[in-house]
Formats: sequence, C-alpha cells, structure tokens
Amino acid sequence: MTNKLDTVLQTAPRPIQLMTHVVAGYPDWETCSALVQTMARSGVRLLEVQLPFTDPLADGPTITAANQAALDAGVRPEDALKWMGEMAAALPEVAFLVMTYANIPYAMGLSRFVDACCRAGAQGIILPDLPLDEPEGTYAEEARRQGLHPILVISPDTPAARLDFLLPQASGMIYTTLKVGITGASKDLAPASLAYLETLRRRTQLPVAAGFGISQPEHVAALRGRAEVAVVGSHILGLVTRGDISAVEDFLRACTSL
Amino acid sequence: MTLPRHFGPFGGRYVPEMLVPALDELEAAFLAARQDPAFNKSFDELLRHYCGRPTPLYPAHNLTRHLNGCHIFLKLESLNHTGAHKITNALGQALLALRMGKTRLIAETGAGQHGLATATVAARCGLGCTVFMGEVDVARQYPNVFAMRLLGAEVVAVADGTRTLKDAVNAALKEWVQHLPSTHYVLGSALGPHPYPTIVREFQSVIGREVASQLQTLTGRKPDHLVACVGGGSNSIGLFAPFLDDREIRLYGAEAGGRGPAPGEHAARLQGRPTTGIVQGYKSYFLQDEHGQIQGTHSISAGLDYAGIGPELAWHFQQGRIQFSAISDDEALAAYQLLARLEGIIPALESAHAVALAARLAPRLPKDDLMVVNISGRGDKDLFITARALDEARWRAFLHSEVHRDQ
Ligand SMILES: Cc1ncc(COP(=O)(O)O)c(C=O)c1O
Repeated sequence: MTNKLDTVLQTAPRPIQLMTHVVAGYPDWETCSALVQTMARSGVRLLEVQLPFTDPLADGPTITAANQAALDAGVRPEDALKWMGEMAAALPEVAFLVMTYANIPYAMGLSRFVDACCRAGAQGIILPDLPLDEPEGTYAEEARRQGLHPILVISPDTPAARLDFLLPQASGMIYTTLKVGITGASKDLAPASLAYLETLRRRTQLPVAAGFGISQPEHVAALRGRAEVAVVGSHILGLVTRGDISAVEDFLRACTSL
Repeated sequence: MTLPRHFGPFGGRYVPEMLVPALDELEAAFLAARQDPAFNKSFDELLRHYCGRPTPLYPAHNLTRHLNGCHIFLKLESLNHTGAHKITNALGQALLALRMGKTRLIAETGAGQHGLATATVAARCGLGCTVFMGEVDVARQYPNVFAMRLLGAEVVAVADGTRTLKDAVNAALKEWVQHLPSTHYVLGSALGPHPYPTIVREFQSVIGREVASQLQTLTGRKPDHLVACVGGGSNSIGLFAPFLDDREIRLYGAEAGGRGPAPGEHAARLQGRPTTGIVQGYKSYFLQDEHGQIQGTHSISAGLDYAGIGPELAWHFQQGRIQFSAISDDEALAAYQLLARLEGIIPALESAHAVALAARLAPRLPKDDLMVVNISGRGDKDLFITARALDEARWRAFLHSEVHRDQ
C-alpha cells in the first residue's frame, strides 16, 4: 500500500505544501475537529497531531500551554488516536502524522504504539526526543514495516558527520527546524535559515519540511523552491487560543494563494 | 575517546537533535579538562580556598549514644561555601564553561542551593547567570532567591506544570537550546542526558574520596554503612561512587516519602512498583501514570521534590547495590530537630531525610560498625518551612510585625 505522505508530496498541486499542527483535544474535541476540517478545506494535506505530554521538551510557551490544557481536560493517548482515526477516515485526502514525546510510546510499548498509530490511519510518526542511536530507536524499523514513515527532525546545527548517520535512515521526508531553539512563532525568517536549506538540499533526495517560527504567508513564500513543505504550528495554535478560528482559514488561504 | 552513555539499561541521550552538538561539545571539554593538569589544579585550589574543602567528617558521639547502635559520623557538606554540596559541581562546570568560551551560565534549582551555588561561581568567574526555579519553590525558599539576586543572577519563576524542580529543568533546557553558543547549562544533579550524569558524579565523588581518607585517619578503617538523601542523586552518588565496588560496604538512599504513598503526595520513585520512563533526556524510573504522563510530587524539602532519579542510581537500585527507603515529612522534621538538639547542627530538610534513615538503621546495627551520613546541606534556607511547621504562632507574629513595621 502506498503511503499517503508520498502521494501528497509526489502529486503536489502547489509548489509548496503546508503541514499544520494540532494538539489533540485542544482547546476541546469539537473545536479541534472543526480546526482540522478548516485546515483540510483550506488546502492543507499534511497534518501533525500531537499527543499531549506533561513535559514537551522541544515546545515553546504556546504549544506547552496547549499540552497542559489538553491534559487538564483529561485527554489520553488512546483518546487522541481514536479521534485522529475518525478524522483520517473523514478526510482521506489528508496525510495524518502522529507527533509526541518518547515517554508516551515507551509507556504504551513501542510496538503497541506503532500498531495503534497505524490503525488510526497515521502515515508517519514524529518523536523528536527519541534518537535512532538509542535502543528504542528500533521503533523506526517497526514503523517502516507497517508502511509508516518515521520522520526524523534535524536542525541547522546538526553536524555533517551526524547527517551522514541520520539521512540514510530517514524516510518520507526530512523535517528540519529553521532555527536552533524551541517551537514558537517568529517575526522574521533569518537569511541564514534559507541558506542552510540550500545546503541541506544538496545532501538529500528526500522532500524537506521546514518549520519552527513560520508565522506569515511571506515566510511560506520564501521557502518555496527551498523546501517541499512549510510547517506552521505555534502561529495557528496562537490564533486558536485567542478563539479566532476564522483567522486560521484566512491565514491558510493567504499562504496557499501567494 | 568518549564516556559510557548508559548505566545498564538506564541513562542515554534522549534529546532533540539540536542538543546533540552541545552535549558532544560538553563531553569533549570534560574529557580534555580531566587530562589537563592546569584545570585540575585550579579546580582543586578553588575547592580548597574558596569552597572550604575538605569538609569535616565529624564523629557524632551524642547521636551515636542516643541511638545506641553503630558509630555515626557526619560528613559536613553543609560547611561548604553556600551551605551545600552543590557548589562543587557548579564550580567544576563553571570552569568547563570558561574552557568552552561560554559567557553565561544557566541553572535549574529546587531548594535554591544549586541556583545559589551557580550564581556564586558565576559571580566569581565573571559569567552572566540566569536561574530557573518553580514558583512553588520560589515561595518556600525565599532566602536563597534573595541571595541569588544579590549575587547578580536573574531568577525566573517557572509557572509551567507542577511549578517545582522538574519544570525548572524543562525551562532551563529550553532556554539552553535557544542560546547554545553563549550559554552553558549547569545541571545540578546527576541526571539529564549524557554526559551530565557522569560529569556530576565525577565532580561530586570528592565527597566519597574525602570520607575514605578521613575515616581511615580517624579510625583506621573503611565505612560499613553510607547514608545519603536522594533527590536527583548528586550528593548520594558523590558519596557512594568510590565505594561501589566494595560489596562489604552497605549503601542506603533516603527518598522523600512526603505525606504518604498516594500519587502526588511524595517523591519516592523506588518504592512500590517503580516504572521506567524516558523523560528530560534520560531513561530511568519516574513517577508517572499508566499513560506515561509525569505525576505531581510532594516533599517538605524542595530539593527532593522531583519525579525522576539519576540513571546511575536507577541501575544500582535494579542491581540491588543500593537500598532505598522512603522518609516521611514528619520523620524528616523530627530528625531535623534531633540533630539540632543533640549535635548543634541544623541540617537542610533534604539532609534531614538521611538523618532520619540513619536513625532507623543504626539501633539495629552492631555497635562496632561505622556509619557515615551525608549532611548534604545546612538548614538556614528552610526557615520559611520549618518555622511555620514547628513554631507557627511566633513565626506568624514575627511576619505580621515585619509587614506592619513601617505603617
Ligand atoms: C542540601 C541538599 N541536599 C540534597 C539535595 C538533593 O539533590 P541531590 O540528590 O542531587 O543531592 C539538594 C537539592 O537541592 C540540596 O539542596
């Protein structure tokens, strides 16, 4: 069976795809579902679903607060995957990716977790704090066997030798941050980030997804030709936190029409 | 050359890729520094002339007589500059930071002792300093908050999650990753991603080395029992490290039993059925629910109020090399008063847990046995907790009069 992530990236109708991010169950299930529908309607074909965790190490204030709010509302990993399964069934044009931190799959059991993601219609798994050179890095093989892409997250400071180790094990796409830091909307994209994408390009055949800091349609436009996917997380979540779902649609339309 | 990254199945380096180069840089700097006589000389000299090492090993005759069991010696880490063992590690890491060309130190702190130590060495070394401290701990360890600011450090109150030590570690890691070129993260306990647990153990193992030679001088013998309190594990692994291979020596760790065994009421990670997890960059035992969410903790002592435990201690627990017991808030408070009255030593509430465990063990041990208890810190910082717990009416009256003094 072909992976939907590959299909989306191969038949890209636009020069750059958007990957958006939701925290499962945030701010509540109903709004979260409406948000995903809005994203799909606005042309989003890649959607990252974060299973909330108490200690989200790579996340800035916006996403950290959303994780905490979802946990306070009682969202469990099983609920999140069940909900994602329903969304994935309703939106077959969208490739859903599960993102969370290592302790969630570790507590569930890595194989069970990969199975559960697979059953929920996930096309990929993103675990930023589970490196391939630790024993549990075997989840990547397991995911691939089930037709899911384990998506590696690298950053502009990842040294060449480390890339030589990582890139051959990447699949689906390579997810790189545009800055060395945590998630969060930035005002500007540094020219150095764009230059870095050019060098990364020369090292891999895989599609590149670039994120961390994207907050304006112009940022997305600037990534065109340098990355296949622009990842927008905190900015949209910030709009959601302010209760402004309609602004999400406006923003996404502006991104896709530029 | 690299250092071992795991302790049995524990430890490791479970971090986002962007921290990998910084951790590699730190490991390389540590390995090079260890081989460098100039580094070792300046570290040793500062430990002696600035921190006050060696700290005394004090034969606690009154406590020994009172408990009517084995001989008890107290390792007075409380007499270090800034009042706890923490400064040894903070100083070592500050010197590493200087070697790496960093201009700023950041740290997490629970009791405030590690933050205070880091702020102190930052002032001494001409480095900037920011300390992250949970809001709950800022409120209960105010004397240290004031001192850190006096020393020129910025103190950031962390409002995320449980607002205690765990959340301060998260905040420090997030700050670090945003400022890697200029900043060194001085992790304060033997936990976190590799190489921190090893670096912290190596710096703190001076405690155990001093104990070995001091006890030899005092008694001509080696210890039979070593007791330490266990937050993340730096004072305990520092005391135990040189003795781990000698199976005749019994090692005991005191965890925070808090108000009881219900979830959220304690920080005793190794009681009942401990569960492993991968959190804050390392694999170890964590207090967590069945879904892997980290649980809230409680301890009367801020420094033991943490949901994880250093990976090397986890390994020694699994191997049965170290025995861990939970000490309740009330037992710790009782031991705090006992030591004050019997020996004229006011221990930190963290260290009072070790005293309480010693008081449990000693009466059942042969009178000829030698026990060393680590007094990891002194109790001044705990004024706001202990005065309220032990002398509430007078403490409230005092606070009231302070507030109204100028009105
Ligand atoms: C005096 C004192 N003892 C013990 C601890 C616990 O830490 P560790 O287990 O790393 O020694 C602390 C931590 O703040 C402390 O201040």
